[in-house]
Amino acid sequence: MEQDFRDFVLEHMPHIERRRIGGLYTDTTDFTSIGYGDVIRLADRHYMVLRDEAERRFGIEDFKFWVKRCRCLETKEPAILKLVFHEEFTQQIGSMRIRSFRSATKEARILDLVRDDPRFMHGFSARDEAGNLVRVLEVIRGKRFDEVVDALPGDHAFYFHNNLRPVLNTFIDACEAIGFLHQHGEQHGDVRRDHLWMETSTGRGRWLDFDYAYETRANPFGLDLYGLGNSLLFLVGKRIYTPHVFEGMEGSEALQPGDFSPVIRNRLVNLRRLFPYIPKPLNNVLLHFSEGAETFYDSVDEMLFELRPCLDLLPNPQEPKEGAP
Amino acid sequence: MNPRKILVAVDASANALRAIDYVGEVVAGRPGFKVRLLCIEQLPHRDLFENEESWVQACRNGRAEFEDFLEQGRERLLAMGMNEEEVEKNYVAFCHSPFNDQTSRCSMGTSVALEILETVKSGGFGTVVVGRRGLSKAEEFLFGSVSNKIVHSARDCTVWVVS
Repeated sequence: MEQDFRDFVLEHMPHIERRRIGGLYTDTTDFTSIGYGDVIRLADRHYMVLRDEAERRFGIEDFKFWVKRCRCLETKEPAILKLVFHEEFTQQIGSMRIRSFRSATKEARILDLVRDDPRFMHGFSARDEAGNLVRVLEVIRGKRFDEVVDALPGDHAFYFHNNLRPVLNTFIDACEAIGFLHQHGEQHGDVRRDHLWMETSTGRGRWLDFDYAYETRANPFGLDLYGLGNSLLFLVGKRIYTPHVFEGMEGSEALQPGDFSPVIRNRLVNLRRLFPYIPKPLNNVLLHFSEGAETFYDSVDEMLFELRPCLDLLPNPQEPKEGAP
Repeated sequence: MNPRKILVAVDASANALRAIDYVGEVVAGRPGFKVRLLCIEQLPHRDLFENEESWVQACRNGRAEFEDFLEQGRERLLAMGMNEEEVEKNYVAFCHSPFNDQTSRCSMGTSVALEILETVKSGGFGTVVVGRRGLSKAEEFLFGSVSNKIVHSARDCTVWVVS
């Protein structure tokens, strides 16, 4: 039987050395024991495991042992298999603690919901023989949107005049996508700037990783909105919002406590203090995420209602400058 | 807008009970007032639960708690001297509840405050009453403050915030 299995793998993947072929898994419960060379059988397909996926956060590779980069033997296509990892934990956000959990069911549900929506990662779910709900995800070919923005050339003023408008346009599209989830009663659960990828072929933003859920019943989408606010701050400020970055910049001497985030106390939200060319309406959207705000956004729609008109207030790099030949 | 037409937005909390008591103190025994107790249903997140059955049971318990609270609130106002025809209950079910409710209106759950204000507008209420939880700015930011949102977003009506 084992001989047959290895022959089967070699038939579909002739370049692999026979000795590298591991075991055949139909039960993924013990995901830590599944590694390179093993094959996972799921829904009549076979997936060769190439490696564990990792996220790079704060300069450190954070391995996700339950997420396997694979290749489907039958289709030859790359795929990411997310195996079931039950996890419940408390997120510390500033001084706040929020009960959070990882849910395969939630992610599977959202994958169904966004099956034809290009603003999200795509995939499907299937149960292995032990009943674990495995998600089979397509690989998005592209880059993290924040890294794309971070790599844009020039100082902030150059970025503002040449890039912010298309960047904001992409972000608005991404916000609408999150709003779509909320309208269907779903949280994204982990809205972070590194979870928005820019697809190379289309130039569109696509959200990934929907398996987090959190408990904030009175404001069920508050954490998603918080994530969108953080992302917007990054995009408008191009990473300039923490003291070690803005220290000594003109305007930094006049900062007030109300200019900062109520959650992360050293995160400057009132960016117009540093960059007076940022249009007031755009800065006002940012100020909804500040300690000084009288009221916060409850919904993505509310935020977009004020954010969309800001696009027209930003320099359009397509338009010839006045007086230009 | 009729200021004597009062909407009291409640959940099943002690703050909401204080708001009901306050309204009763002010209006009971005085003619011309109408009070509607409004509860916008907020159910636990389904992904908190191991399986569908336990989530449905938790939702059933949650709904029963809200409905009991509404009835208690109504009885409280009656006990304070209001008439049956002066007090009404309004329960707005969550659109994504597991119960397949056949109602003309349901709550999307995106903003309790804005849904309360929608009721104020559509029902012609001149006064809206809410309890206050007393949250810090950071808590308000992440967990939401219905009272603060109503104070800042209400138009053409009076807001009473009871703390």
